[in-house]
Order: sequence, then C-alpha cells, then structure tokens
Amino acid sequence: MTMFTRNDKPTESNATFLASQSVRDKVEAPVPTPTLVPEPLEPKRPMAAAYPMQSVVSAAPRASVISKAMKITGQLESTEDIQIDGEVDGDVRALSVKVGSNAKVKGAVYGDEVEVAGTVDGKIEAKKVLLTSTARMSGDIVHQEIAIHSGAFIDGHCKPDYGKADTKNVIPVRKPAAAE
Amino acid sequence: MSAAAQRTLVKPPAARDSADFPASHLGSSLKFEGVLDCAGEVHVHGNVQGRINADCLVVGRGGIVEGDVVAREVRIGGRFNGRVFAFNVILDRTADVTGRIFHHFVTVEKGARIDGRMPWRPVNFFESFDQPPETQP
Repeated sequence: MTMFTRNDKPTESNATFLASQSVRDKVEAPVPTPTLVPEPLEPKRPMAAAYPMQSVVSAAPRASVISKAMKITGQLESTEDIQIDGEVDGDVRALSVKVGSNAKVKGAVYGDEVEVAGTVDGKIEAKKVLLTSTARMSGDIVHQEIAIHSGAFIDGHCKPDYGKADTKNVIPVRKPAAAE
Repeated sequence: MSAAAQRTLVKPPAARDSADFPASHLGSSLKFEGVLDCAGEVHVHGNVQGRINADCLVVGRGGIVEGDVVAREVRIGGRFNGRVFAFNVILDRTADVTGRIFHHFVTVEKGARIDGRMPWRPVNFFESFDQPPETQP
C-alpha cells in the first residue's frame, strides 16, 4: 500500500502550516491520512493481517546514522554499525564505529572496528583502529591492529592488547591483567 | 541545544536542504539513553530512553521511545511512552502509545493503540514552545 509511504515533504507544507485552521484540509493534504478508502476492506480481513503490511515508516536500516544536524548526550549502544557525523557526548559502543570528518565524540568508543576521521576526545578500544588524515584524537587507544594515516593528530598512548582476541569487544573495559 | 532554541515547532527550519539536515537513523539494534538534539529528521527503529528534540521524528515499527519528544512533526509506528509536543502528529496502525500527545493536527490510523490523552493546543502554543514543563500542563 502506498497510502502510508512517506511522501510528505515539509517544504511543501511550509506555507500551509502557517495558515489558519480554515485551510486545514490543505494542510493535511500532503500527509497521507487514513481516508475512507480502506474502510470497506477492513472487516474482511482479520486484524492480524493488517500488521504484516509494509511499514510506513521505511524499512528499518540495521546501521545507525547520527547525522551532522544531530547532537546527542548519553550512551549509545548497538550490536551493529554506527556512523557518526554529528556530535556525541557520551560513550559509544558498537560493532563498527565510524566517526565522520566533522564529527565530534566526547567519550569512550568501543567496537570491533573503529574508523576516525573526526574528533574523538576520550579513549578508543577496538580490535581494528583506523585514524585517517583528518582525525584528531585525544586519549588512549587500545587496539590489536592500528593504522594511522599521515596528518592524523594523536594525543595519548597507543597500546596493543592481544589478549582480547577471543572476546567480544562490545563489552566495555577489560583488565589487561585478566587477559594474560 | 541551539538547534532546539532557535526553531519554532510550526515552521520547518529555514534552510531545509537534505544536504544541511540529513536524516539520522537509529537502527533496530541501537540502544540509546540520554538527550537527543537534532535540527533535521530522526528515524528511530531502536530503543531510546530520554529526551528527543527534533524537527521531525519518525518512530518506526519496532522502535521504542520512552520520554519526552519535542518536534514539529511526529510519526509513530512503534511503541511510545511519554509526552509528545508536536504540531503535527501521525499515529500509524502499529502505534502503541501511552502518555500525552500535545498536538495541533493529529492523524490516527485505525489500529493504533492509544492509552492517554491527546490535548489539542493552538498554534501559538507551539510557536512559543520552549521546553516541556516538568509537571503536567
């Protein structure tokens, strides 16, 4: 059903939103409302059948994107990938973390793979770490593999940690002593 | 915070290019606790606890949001628990909402589950809206 596909563009509704209620119909126009059209269909099918319907709300992408317009404060945790282009104030934990070139992360980053092109203020703990030429990193890096492109700025220690090969990195801090 | 402070909940942001405000996605495996501030669109398919300030919020089916939401447009297809302050609200048939929805325009699709109140507010309520009150207005 295309009825609920998201095709309402805020730009279209810009002017109409300012209008008074008398043009309410117009305002609602870009927003697909449940019209009377599906009504007759409803009783014929069981309620359960209504659910598998294609979701309105676009298919859920597995990976997460923090866009550059976004600023978040708090803990981010994911078992998939996270791409950060905005500002994060807090810890990030994910399978793979990419910090975009204008992104800022203030807090620890944990992951299997961490790629930094932006600013990270805090530590990184990951199996694979890549600092690209635009990276600015203040804090320690605990890694198994690291690549640093020329131009990257690092203020902190880089420390290999081979003891964690078999552990899931999504789990936070591990004592190095326990690894040996 | 600046994004939230300057914006009005009635008009979309001035320069609304997709390049300026690309949509953010919080995937289904993502769990987030804290404050989320966004000048553009946010799609939540994961689990968010805390405040959300955005221009446009979409809670996808399977998404769970707990807390206060302040946005111009809100579309809920998942679970929501808390308060919504939005000019335009759409509840899809898969929505499961508990709490209050302060709105000017609301659309509820048949099948949505709503437990709570949906107080209507005039346009100027959203024009001058700053932060959600601590106590119930």
